Order: sequence, then structure tokens, then C-alpha cells
Amino acid sequence: MKLFILKLLALFMFFSFTNVLANDNGSANVSLETHKEENYKVKPFSEMITGFLASTGVNAILHPDPDELSSDGKPMSNFHKSWGRVLMILLTFFLFWLAIKKGFEPLLLLPIAFGGLLANIPVAGIAGDHGFLGVIYGMGLSNEMFPIIIFMGVGAMTDFGPLLSNPKTALLGGAAQFGIFGTLVGAVALSQFGFVDFTLQQASAISIIGGADGPTSIFIATKLAPELLGAIAVASYSYMAMVPIIQPPIMKALTSDTERRIKMTTLRHVSRLEKLVFPVMVLTLAIMVLPESTPLIGAFMFGNFLKESGVVERLNDTLQNSLINTVTIFLGLGVGSKLAADQFLVPDTMFIMALGIVAFSVGTASGVIMAKIMNLFPGNKINPLIGSAGVSAVPMAARVSNKVGMEYDRTNMLLMHAMGPNVAGVIGSAVAAGVLISLFQ
Amino acid sequence: MEANLILEGFKFMGLGMGTVFIFLIIMIISMSFMSSFINKFFPEAHVSAAAPVKKNNNKIIAAVIGAITQHKQG
Repeated sequence: MKLFILKLLALFMFFSFTNVLANDNGSANVSLETHKEENYKVKPFSEMITGFLASTGVNAILHPDPDELSSDGKPMSNFHKSWGRVLMILLTFFLFWLAIKKGFEPLLLLPIAFGGLLANIPVAGIAGDHGFLGVIYGMGLSNEMFPIIIFMGVGAMTDFGPLLSNPKTALLGGAAQFGIFGTLVGAVALSQFGFVDFTLQQASAISIIGGADGPTSIFIATKLAPELLGAIAVASYSYMAMVPIIQPPIMKALTSDTERRIKMTTLRHVSRLEKLVFPVMVLTLAIMVLPESTPLIGAFMFGNFLKESGVVERLNDTLQNSLINTVTIFLGLGVGSKLAADQFLVPDTMFIMALGIVAFSVGTASGVIMAKIMNLFPGNKINPLIGSAGVSAVPMAARVSNKVGMEYDRTNMLLMHAMGPNVAGVIGSAVAAGVLISLFQ
Repeated sequence: MEANLILEGFKFMGLGMGTVFIFLIIMIISMSFMSSFINKFFPEAHVSAAAPVKKNNNKIIAAVIGAITQHKQG
């Protein structure tokens, strides 16, 4: 019986094998007969070489294609197609240098700069609708998805303990938002005097740089003025990286020696329940006062709530590390796609850069001044140096306060005190962003 | 028309700074209220939980010392 089955099996295999062979032969013959090239014409070799040379990058830069359109389908000037691109590529090299050698926010500046490099390559159209940068932009930037995810991660990294133990320092984080609205007036004034033509939306998007909060700037820029996104993001992140250079002179100019030596009372212990209730409480307030700010505040508090709950350590870990890192790569590349020459090499960019630094300085100054005003009232004195931390830029601005304080008194540790206004600044700029969005609804 | 633009900017500033401050002031008030409420009615348990652990340690140490002295004497 067994033998019979084996024989049957062998026979079956033999037949099927010969069948396959026959089929292969048949199909090969057919394809040989019908093979035709549809997209290729036979050309002499010399023509192939000239054709190839015409498709090189060097040729595209020296003899720009008159029919080429920008990534958003508009006609471009010859300068933007040729030397503008070279200039932008050199600029991205400069950004590499800032990020690597000078350590200016390398986590974001490197992806942004490399995205900018890729976006300025002629012919390839990487930042166009079908290029991968264009796809990344459409995936999470044009719909404001990436900044929101970054906010969740930042929320998971934030500790509200210092703010909870000294609530009144939140006012410093509010005062620093003056940088946003002061710059808004400045930008509008510039357009009125005819230096530049910014609409109110554009002016608002630019002024949010003063919030010193990268994701918020990107969120607002994509919503109100996507055409300025590249310049706004670059200004925002490069100034955030320059906080240790921009802030100390302003802080020192506005404070007296005795003020800088003020020692603040030690922070009380904050219970776990307080930290757990806080995110939900702030979100509830945002729902009641300003629903427009809830995408940002909601995502921020979601991340913080997961962290403080203490029962979802895995999710918390993902938010703080893998998720925020992944999204940072995409966010950087997507923003970089807006560094294409035709969008960045315009006079507006210069004004955005100038207004951005004004916004930062005004924010820093008003935080310090607010601390001095609060010291006029009875109660525990505040060291005005922590006022500058009210611009968000977590935790860089708080570190700067600490460092400047230590310059005058080695024993004066301001870091934890400065974290209070620092995280309040994040909430403050999210509220300011919500106000700006609600004004254009 | 053009003069309106700057005025518009100042209006934005008034509304924006007003909202930011009102929001933060409400936040400060509710934060202080929340903290005092929680610390009054739900004081953190681990402060009292930490004490017995310390006590136990002391007991153990005392027992160890006692055992050693007894051993030396004997």
C-alpha cells in the first residue's frame, strides 16, 4: 500500500514538473515576440551623452528650466532656480556648523538644515508634492499633527512641582508673553510704514516667536501663515538656542546687584495627588476660558497626566523618548522643506529674523520687570533673574537664570525656582496662541 | 485704513495679554485652593508610612547590638 502511494506521488510530481517546464518555454517565446520598448527610443551614443549632461545638477543651476514650478506650483524667478539654491545650500552648511560646532539645538537644527539642503536640490523635486519631504510635510505639518505630538512628549517631560509649590511665579510666565504681543504691534507698524507687507495673520504668526516655544510657533505658523513657516521655525529654534547669549545682558541691565543676590525660600514638598490633579485642572480651565487653546494644552496635559499617573510607565517612556524622537526627525525634515530658495530668500525673511530677536528680548525684559513689580508687594521676595525664564524655552531659560544667579552668589541655586515661571511660560504661550487663533476664526 | 492696523495690533495686545493674565490668575487661585484642599483632606500617606520603616530598622539595629554585646559578654 505504502509503495503504491509513493509511486503515485512520484508520477504526479514528474508530470507537474514537465508541465511547468513546458509552460516556461511557451511564455518565454511569447514574450520574445511581443517585447516592445514604449518609453525608450534608440539613440546614437553621442546624443545619449548630451541628453545625460542636460539632466545634471550643474546644468540645472547654470541654465534654469524656464518651465520649472516651485513646490507649491507657482512660477519662480531665475535667481531662485539657480544661484539662490546654491546660496541656500551654503546656508544649510552654516546651520550644520551652528548645530555641530556651536551646539545650537542640534536635535532640531540638524534635521531642519538637512531638510533644507534636500529641498534645494534642482530637478529632483524632493520638497514637491511627490518628493519625500513634500509627503512628510503633508503627513504631519500642514495638518498641525507633529507639533501636537511633540507637545505630548514635552508634557511627559515636564515637572509641575516647582510651579505648584510657588504658584505666584506663574505670573512671570504670563508677563513674558508680552514679547509676543509687543512684536505683533511692531510687525504691524512695519507694514504700515511700508517697509514690508505683512497681513495681520502673518504678523501674528511671526510674533509667536516671542513665546520661545518651537512647537507652538510651528503650530501657529502652519495655521495662520504657512508660507512663512520656514523662516519662522528657523528663527524660533535658532533664537531658542541662543537664549544663553541673548538673555544675560538684558537680565543684568534691568536688575541691581542686591536684587540679583536675593535668596528665595526653599520650595515646599508637593504631593503626588497635587501633581496628578494639576493637569486635569488646567485643562478644565482651558476648556472654560479658551477652547481654541485646548489642542496644545490638551496634548501637553495628556503627556503630563500619563507621567504623573505613575501606572503607565511604558507609555510615558514612549512619549518621552521614542515617540518624540521619531516625530522630531519628521518635524525637522518637514520644516526644512520650507527652506527652499523661492520661499526663504525673500525680503520678509530678514524682517522675521529681526522681529524674532526683538520678540525674545522684549519677553525676557518684561518677565524681569514683572518680578520687580511683584517685589513691591509684601510677601516672599522673588529674585528678578527668574523672571527671564518666563519665556518658555524649557529648560534652557531656567538654566540661564541659574547660571547668572551663580555668577553673583555661588550658593544661590535658582534652577528649581526658575522652573516654575518656565513651565508657566509654556502654558502662557499656548493661551496666547489660542487667543490669536480665536481672533482669526 | 492704515492707521487702523496699528490700533488693531494694540487691540490684539490688550485682549491677548488680558486673557493670558486672567487665565494664569485663575490658575494660581485654583492651584492654591487645590493644594490646600488636598493637603488638608488627603495628606500624603508615605510620610507616615516612612516612619514605621525607620522604627523597625532601629529595632533591628538594637537587637543586633544587643546580640553582639551578649555574645561578647558570654
